[in-house]
Amino acid sequence: MKNRLKVLRAECDWSQQHLADALGVSRQSVNAIETGKYDPSLPLAFRISDLFALPIEAIFLRN
Amino acid sequence: MTSWNNLAPYMRRYTVRVLLFMASYMLILTSSLTFARGSTEHSQATLIGLALISALPIIGVFWAIFRLLVEIDDEYQRLLFAKQTLLATALTLVTVTVWQFLAVYDVVASGPEWMGAIWFAMLGVAGPFARWKA
Repeated sequence: MKNRLKVLRAECDWSQQHLADALGVSRQSVNAIETGKYDPSLPLAFRISDLFALPIEAIFLRN
Repeated sequence: MTSWNNLAPYMRRYTVRVLLFMASYMLILTSSLTFARGSTEHSQATLIGLALISALPIIGVFWAIFRLLVEIDDEYQRLLFAKQTLLATALTLVTVTVWQFLAVYDVVASGPEWMGAIWFAMLGVAGPFARWKA
């Protein structure tokens, strides 16, 4: 599943580590989500959504 | 190099548990073997007891590994570790199956032994493969 996480993170001028700390996951996990290697669970997707104050469908895109 | 303070709390708990179990294993095994191979004869019940006591720390390491799977609060890391344990199990089964047939055809004297040790070794081998390009 494609996502806009990398773009949104760049807009906030956050590093992967900063985003990882905010989400309570590892930097490796953030990288895996950004590069589309891993689709997060619904709870983690909601945490990402809350952090950027955007609906899930504005972050994760249908293929 | 990852320092102790940078380790996630679940990895710190896992490391402490494994170190404690391995230290217990060395202590129990050396003292049990010394006792068992002493000059006096031991009953079957005593020897069974010594075998069970020696196995306990290894069982503890298995518990620590599967407890880690439960305690990892990072879902992606949990996925990678689950992949690693499944791959280790598959590699162990492949190894003991081949070993078993080597014994059936009298290529080697005895069938699979020390399967726990094989699994631990395979867990180490499986790590880089499970995390390949992760």
